[in-house]
Amino acid sequence: MDTPAISTTNLTRRFGDFVAVDSINLRVTPGQFFGFLGPNGAGKSTTIKMLTGLLAPSAGRMEILGLDLASHSLEVKQHIGVVPEGMALFGRLTGPEYLNFAGRMYGLNRETAAKRTTELLEFMQLDREPGKLITDYSHGMQKKLALAAAVIHGPKILFLDEPFEGVDAIASGTLKAMLQRMILRGATIFLTSHVLEIVERLCSHLAIIHQGKLVAQGSLEELRSGVQAMPADQHLAGAQPEKLTLEEIFLRIVGGARSEDQELSWLT
Amino acid sequence: MADVAPTGVPLALPDAGMQLRTIALLRWQIFKNSLRTMRGRLEAVSWIFVGFWFVALGLGGAFGIAVGSWWMVSHNRSDLLAALFWPIFIFWICFPLVATAFTEVFDSSNLLRYPLRYSSFFLVNLIYGSLDGGTVVGLLWLIGAVLGISIAQPSSTPWAVLALAIFGAANIFLVRALFSWIERWLAQRKTREIMGIIFFLIIIGFQFIGPLTQRAHRQHFQLPAYISQAILIQKFLPPGLVAGALGGSVRADWLSAAGSLLLLSAYAGVFCLLFHIRLRGLYAGESFSESVSREKVSMEKAETQSGWALPGLSGQLAAIMEKEARYLSRSGPMLFALIMPIVVLLLFHMGGNPNRPNAVAHNPNLAFPIGAAYCLLLLTNLIYNNFGADGMGVQFFFVAPVKMRSVIIAKNLIHGGVLALEMCLVFAATYFMYGSPAPAVVSATFVGVLFAIPLDFAVGNLLSLYSPKKYDYGAFGRQRAPGLTVLASFGVQAVTIGIAIVVVLVARHYGSLWLATIVFAALALAAWALYQAVLGRIDGIALSKRESLIATIAKTG
Repeated sequence: MDTPAISTTNLTRRFGDFVAVDSINLRVTPGQFFGFLGPNGAGKSTTIKMLTGLLAPSAGRMEILGLDLASHSLEVKQHIGVVPEGMALFGRLTGPEYLNFAGRMYGLNRETAAKRTTELLEFMQLDREPGKLITDYSHGMQKKLALAAAVIHGPKILFLDEPFEGVDAIASGTLKAMLQRMILRGATIFLTSHVLEIVERLCSHLAIIHQGKLVAQGSLEELRSGVQAMPADQHLAGAQPEKLTLEEIFLRIVGGARSEDQELSWLT
Repeated sequence: MADVAPTGVPLALPDAGMQLRTIALLRWQIFKNSLRTMRGRLEAVSWIFVGFWFVALGLGGAFGIAVGSWWMVSHNRSDLLAALFWPIFIFWICFPLVATAFTEVFDSSNLLRYPLRYSSFFLVNLIYGSLDGGTVVGLLWLIGAVLGISIAQPSSTPWAVLALAIFGAANIFLVRALFSWIERWLAQRKTREIMGIIFFLIIIGFQFIGPLTQRAHRQHFQLPAYISQAILIQKFLPPGLVAGALGGSVRADWLSAAGSLLLLSAYAGVFCLLFHIRLRGLYAGESFSESVSREKVSMEKAETQSGWALPGLSGQLAAIMEKEARYLSRSGPMLFALIMPIVVLLLFHMGGNPNRPNAVAHNPNLAFPIGAAYCLLLLTNLIYNNFGADGMGVQFFFVAPVKMRSVIIAKNLIHGGVLALEMCLVFAATYFMYGSPAPAVVSATFVGVLFAIPLDFAVGNLLSLYSPKKYDYGAFGRQRAPGLTVLASFGVQAVTIGIAIVVVLVARHYGSLWLATIVFAALALAAWALYQAVLGRIDGIALSKRESLIATIAKTG
């Protein structure tokens, strides 16, 4: 049996009395494009922060590539790339300076870091304005740069927190091309996103977290089968079970019914 | 709340007073919310302590000024009033520039998304920008002057209140205008370079003062002639004008009093106008970037330069040091702060009495250690808040395979390098302005700094994790340190300087300053041991504090 790329056992995070992540058991096998979904405040970002070392868990165990994250954090970090919620960019560096910096922080020698920086800037179409400070980049450019920095050392696992948020179609296409290329080469990608269409198109496996608890996990087909077994409600009435989109599956699982009775009469 | 307008009808702008009250309420709410955390409560307590010292300085000074102004008015020496107002003026203007840790310019740019009138925007910037120690102390001193004059001559009270209110307003406008314009000039490479060139031309210009004065003495020039010219000129500057206005009212020379007050009001108007010009630009959405302008961007795809290679240091350390150096070199305000020790030496030199050769103004053996101590003091903003300027980037240090110990060492090394460079500059400035300090003084100063800097690093590294604060390297005067940090750094400086004074006194008692070098060397070893002990625990502390550190430094807005 393969060592899972990512596995968690009863992973829990509390903020005072509030349980943000409640005993979740995740299992991501190597080579999977794994989508981690959930409504706002469900615990997605908290989970990804714990998995990448940005946040300490209150309880539970995390293993990345078979290594315990708590006791082997440096070894684990050498093999992962992360685009966290804030993108971890140093605004007063230029793009090339930041990528060079990131490469060397991941242990690349000067020449390799410089060479990969040039290649990544070209691939991401960020090579037109090498003197521009990151703080002056557009949001899409910053996302591309953050992704470039996360992959400069050729990580085995890539953690992406909302990589497509605020990104235009052109930048989004570039990001997707890079991610698919990585999957083809055997990397594992763990992604959170609210853009369910993209997740549906890219991800082979999914997990859904709701109110801190893991409520579903498996391939899209497995989730679809699970939903078919549930009693139909009015929102999905008429939909053919075998053609349920990820959005429909998601709404069915998390119960995202919206009241249309209320009307904001003052809103023009 | 105004009623909702029907679709298509433009809404009237909200009431300005209500907006100002809302902003005040917002600031109060933010403060109240900050008290929910232990760190916030500690911060508030620290600022109460700091505030206490400011109030003590303000009240003590106000008492002295009240007595002074009372004596001058009651003894018909109102011509001396300018001697009171010049120190007030200089303190008011210079304090925010040399002690940015206590200064905060309210960043109101976020408010521009709302329908805020320009007048409200102006007021918000003026009021919140003026809430600093220098202004509080200055205002207390002016109140002291009003009291002194009123007791000596009650009939002058309304005039004194009016004149000093205009003087206070002029000072507030001038400080705000100075801050906003310096920030503007430091924002871009080109204007920053021009400022740098002007500064160094002034420095070079001052090198000629010494020889010129000596030549003047040789040619039997009378120094009092200069002084009388200076006294004449100062009468037309704000402190001289307020003194003239008050003196005129005391002597019932209303023409002179009204003329001085009118000119003082004109100064206040000009300072207000300068401030208004900058704010108008900001209100219109003006934004300056460090980047190369779009037209100048080369479209050629250049090969990326390899990063720094520093002998004996790992690639990670070199990369972090390179990043830190780039950050510092792109921060106009930081570069400005780093030249302040030379400015201070210059001011001491200019303000000295040539008849007192043992005073700081003419004694290189005093000037060099003082300059070195000031260098150290200025670096506390960096040393005690290592991660402050990293912004979102601070997350990178926790997701990359790097020990926090390495990150901290790299930051300490670059800050140590800056200090070494500054010390060399201060030495050069001392040498050219004051003459060569004695070798024993140079040695004791350098080794004394080797004792002080590990102490600062050790405490600073801890406070950087326990009491971080986000700050913007690109903004002038928005570098106010956390209250806890201010108190702790003051404590460390007080202990260090106290020990240094004792060591120097003991060395002088035994007749050799070289003894101070030896004692400082021994103390430096102990300080380095403490620094190592802190470094040994820094990874664990960083992990335990990472959430609050990231939440504070990487926060937006």
